[in-house]
Amino acid sequence: MFSVLLPVLIILIPSLASVPGTTLSGLETMIRNLPKHVQDELAGMTEQQVMIYIMSLYFFAPFFLIIPLMASSVIAADSFAGEKERKTIEALLATPISDSELFLGKILVSFIPSMTITVISFIIYSIVVDSLSSTIFNGRLLLPNLVWILLIFGVAPTVALASIGLTVMISAKVKGFREAQQISVILLIPILALVFGQVTGAIIFEPIMVAALIGLFAIIDSVVFKIGVKLFKREEILSKLA
Amino acid sequence: MASTIEAEGLTKMFGSLIAVDHLSFKVEEGEVFGLLGPNGAGKTTTVRMLACLISPSEGSAKVGGYDIVRNPLEVRQIVGILTENPSLYERLTAYENMDFFAEAYGLSNAQEKRNRIRELLEFFELWDRRNDKVATFSKGMKQKLAIARALVHKPLILFLDEPTTGLDPESSKEVRDLIERLSRHEKRTILLCTHRLEDAEKLCSRVMIINRGKSVIVGTPDELRDRIAGQPTLQVTLAKLDQKVIEVVKELDFVRVVNVDESTSRLIITLDDVQSTTPDVIRSIVYAGGMIISVNVLRPSLEEAYLRLVRGNRVEDSESHTCL
Repeated sequence: MFSVLLPVLIILIPSLASVPGTTLSGLETMIRNLPKHVQDELAGMTEQQVMIYIMSLYFFAPFFLIIPLMASSVIAADSFAGEKERKTIEALLATPISDSELFLGKILVSFIPSMTITVISFIIYSIVVDSLSSTIFNGRLLLPNLVWILLIFGVAPTVALASIGLTVMISAKVKGFREAQQISVILLIPILALVFGQVTGAIIFEPIMVAALIGLFAIIDSVVFKIGVKLFKREEILSKLA
Repeated sequence: MASTIEAEGLTKMFGSLIAVDHLSFKVEEGEVFGLLGPNGAGKTTTVRMLACLISPSEGSAKVGGYDIVRNPLEVRQIVGILTENPSLYERLTAYENMDFFAEAYGLSNAQEKRNRIRELLEFFELWDRRNDKVATFSKGMKQKLAIARALVHKPLILFLDEPTTGLDPESSKEVRDLIERLSRHEKRTILLCTHRLEDAEKLCSRVMIINRGKSVIVGTPDELRDRIAGQPTLQVTLAKLDQKVIEVVKELDFVRVVNVDESTSRLIITLDDVQSTTPDVIRSIVYAGGMIISVNVLRPSLEEAYLRLVRGNRVEDSESHTCL
């Protein structure tokens, strides 16, 4: 839905910009906060082009951070909690797989499919946006650009790893899958804050900001992994068998 | 690498509950050692400590020469375990389960892994069902698959927790035969947890009866029977009861008690030592004119010994950890 319906609507809505009474006033804050070179570029565009440009490149960018979180939440919450419920955990814990290997394995089993979905969604989104907008922009392709490449291949994976890592940690501590999933919803809050910030124009995803986010979340990933392995206790997991 | 198990004062406490209370025992290479006890006795907790799934509160143990606290990875590498629940992934097929655990136990060579999986599935007569999801298997098939999984990496030491629980008599026998073969022919050291006396009696070279976390007694099944339930008795069935024969038997020095069952013309004789004195008893009966139809040595069952122990009946030396 994100990848197809949204860009279709994005391209169609700007046609309303030509109807009397509709303006870009709702996006003024965002436009004001854009980097100078982007503002200069927008100055030479029609209202329709500005609307499409802002919506497809900036407004919906942070939503693509939610895709990997939503796609991974069920698998991550089920990682240890589900095995406890289904009573399959003991034989796994009895193997010579180390704590860090187990923890990493459970993270990867959520991370790989969720990032695959994210990348595929981005490819579809780019194709739809470019297909619908290229005539409006005289053959110019809007996507992919540097910010989006960094976002999809840098920010999204690091954010996903942090969220999945925390969810797997919670999954190892609680008794069942439902508990793990309910607690892990809290992890969406910081990401929703980013989304809200971008949508209101308070934060703008530009290359330096995105690079900083990648660095920050890479550090968080490392800390989450180390703490997760340290807190991983086979005995505690077995004591919570349903 | 040794394939023995040594436990010294092994203890596990969950809060104030003492689940395992200073267990000490040694299992020799190739031995089938039984941990026999009622539900909640501490058998599974003991196995979990030895398999490095949980850590002991006190005491120590070595499995295959590796310390369970200092070298848990090494212990897990050399041990195969059948857990209390089969712990199979029901949404995967039999082959996929075996493949996953083969990888987990370090069988990374694809050909070696395939051969080993095939060998085990064929042995357990599961090869034809290898592509079926485990959820479709019967309880017996799941148990056999779980045992196959425990053997996939050819461990020298096996922990089998209630291997025949829930199985029908035919499947139980198949599993018992397998355990016997693993011990006798393949020289694997096996720690067998069970509350089924039949399994302990038929399979174990030695049994430790545990109750409420404590070791009550250790010995061979025969020794446990003799020690706890008493000496075997001699049962002699005669064609016709003769008072003269009864008197002759009673007067023998080594005869303690003679009970007479008139309905079956049977003499039930308690002797000092059944092994050595039975021929003398038979000879005396024959010389006294008795017509012997059959002679049986009635061993008290392990069940009698076990029930007497766990129900707290008086047992000589039951306060000390008696090793026979």
